[in-house]
Amino acid sequence: MNVLEVKNLCKNYRDFSLKNVSFSLKPGEITGFIGRNGAGKTTTLKSLLNFVHPTDGEVKFFDKSFADNEFDIKQRIAFLLGGVNYYLNKKLKIITNVTKSFYQNWDNKTYEQYMRQFNLDENKTPFQLSEGMKVKYSLTLALSHNAELLILDEPTSGLDPVSRDEILEILMNLADKGITVLFSTHITSDLEKCADNIIYIKNGEIIAKDNIDSFTDSYKVIEFEENSISEDLKNKIIGLKRAKKGYTGLIKGENKPLFNCACTDATLEDIMVHIEKDEL
Amino acid sequence: MKNLLKKEILLTMHPTAILFLFLSALLIVPNYPYYVTFFYTGLAVFFTCLNGRENNDVFYTMTLPVAKKDIVKARFILIIILELLQMLIAVPFAFIRQNIGLPGNAVGMDANIAFFGFSFILLGIFNVVFFGIYYKDVKKVGKPFAVSSVVIFVYICIAEICAHIVPFVRDCLDTSDNMYVTEKLVVLIEGIIIYAVMTAIIYKKSRRNFEVYDI
Repeated sequence: MNVLEVKNLCKNYRDFSLKNVSFSLKPGEITGFIGRNGAGKTTTLKSLLNFVHPTDGEVKFFDKSFADNEFDIKQRIAFLLGGVNYYLNKKLKIITNVTKSFYQNWDNKTYEQYMRQFNLDENKTPFQLSEGMKVKYSLTLALSHNAELLILDEPTSGLDPVSRDEILEILMNLADKGITVLFSTHITSDLEKCADNIIYIKNGEIIAKDNIDSFTDSYKVIEFEENSISEDLKNKIIGLKRAKKGYTGLIKGENKPLFNCACTDATLEDIMVHIEKDEL
Repeated sequence: MKNLLKKEILLTMHPTAILFLFLSALLIVPNYPYYVTFFYTGLAVFFTCLNGRENNDVFYTMTLPVAKKDIVKARFILIIILELLQMLIAVPFAFIRQNIGLPGNAVGMDANIAFFGFSFILLGIFNVVFFGIYYKDVKKVGKPFAVSSVVIFVYICIAEICAHIVPFVRDCLDTSDNMYVTEKLVVLIEGIIIYAVMTAIIYKKSRRNFEVYDI
């Protein structure tokens, strides 16, 4: 069973389009959704839940069409846009009190357990919480209604490294319990620490969806001095750019033997930076 | 729907909405443009929608297991409750004003049965103008309030001028409630019907507009 299956999702704006976005998620896996700012990550996520009306395409959660089963599906998932970013001046206990009345599977014990675990005080307002605590409160609400799929839009943006690491650890623990996570971010190093798969979107198109290790292994980064590479070989370089000393570029792993220069493993950030640079 | 109404009252409704209800007491002031009382109801609606926008209410509500059309329904139920409460609370003050032995309202319309009919029409017009614009783009709350305020201001001016210069309104409707009761009741009933029809029409249109709105 696919937790989420997206087929040929399209959305046309005057100056931007999502083009045939397709992907699927398996239970208990963390999938990173990467792309630069404005690539279409948030539009895709919003289209999944009809916040934004897709021009075309099909979205199925738990093998059921979202359009026909919106109520049931929303009972089983959670969509977090960063941390709690609504009703910042209301006490958490009021937000919880309102939120829980919408969920059939709300579990007060789980809620209290996570509130304790995350050191969240119900008498505080979201405004009084740090960014990391806001994410934790959002996660608490999601987990208290037993969400099986978490869709997180930039949950770690704006967080300090320690808080980010904490959130990633929480997500990994949740995945171990069988919860599926779709996690959009442009902080690629976060994904290297926790994700199983990545989906890479560029200009509204999915340009890669793969296991994260296979994806990073398929590229190498080369460093070279000016004029040390022939023009022919330069054509095989993706996103040639200036570095502190000389130049760097991304190459496909299979082209590595052609280059007689310093060659290192590519990180997700290297891949993204060079691929985005290649367009310019 | 019960849950959504609970959300509207506990989270979205601006606290001044309750305070403005007590401005129904303005009907006890000896000389005052009494229609202004119901402008405050519009102000409460504006503050509530503004409060929603500033607190990402639509995003929060859309993540909950609710249908989009029910989000509009809950907002309309809240607003109708506020409007009817404003009317209801105004009744005893209108009654007291009429029975304290002072001459009629020198500014314009007396707080009588017909006045409530005209006030229902005022609220119906407000709903049509405000929600007609608001649900096309819920991020823009200022524009519907500005336009509806101007329309309401014009309506109040016309209604008050009529109370001075149109003979039927001046001599029959703008009188104490022990006179011309039938005529005034007809205005009240017509006012209620117009309010109900206008609100029902704009509710349906708002649902359609919000359904296709991209958040």
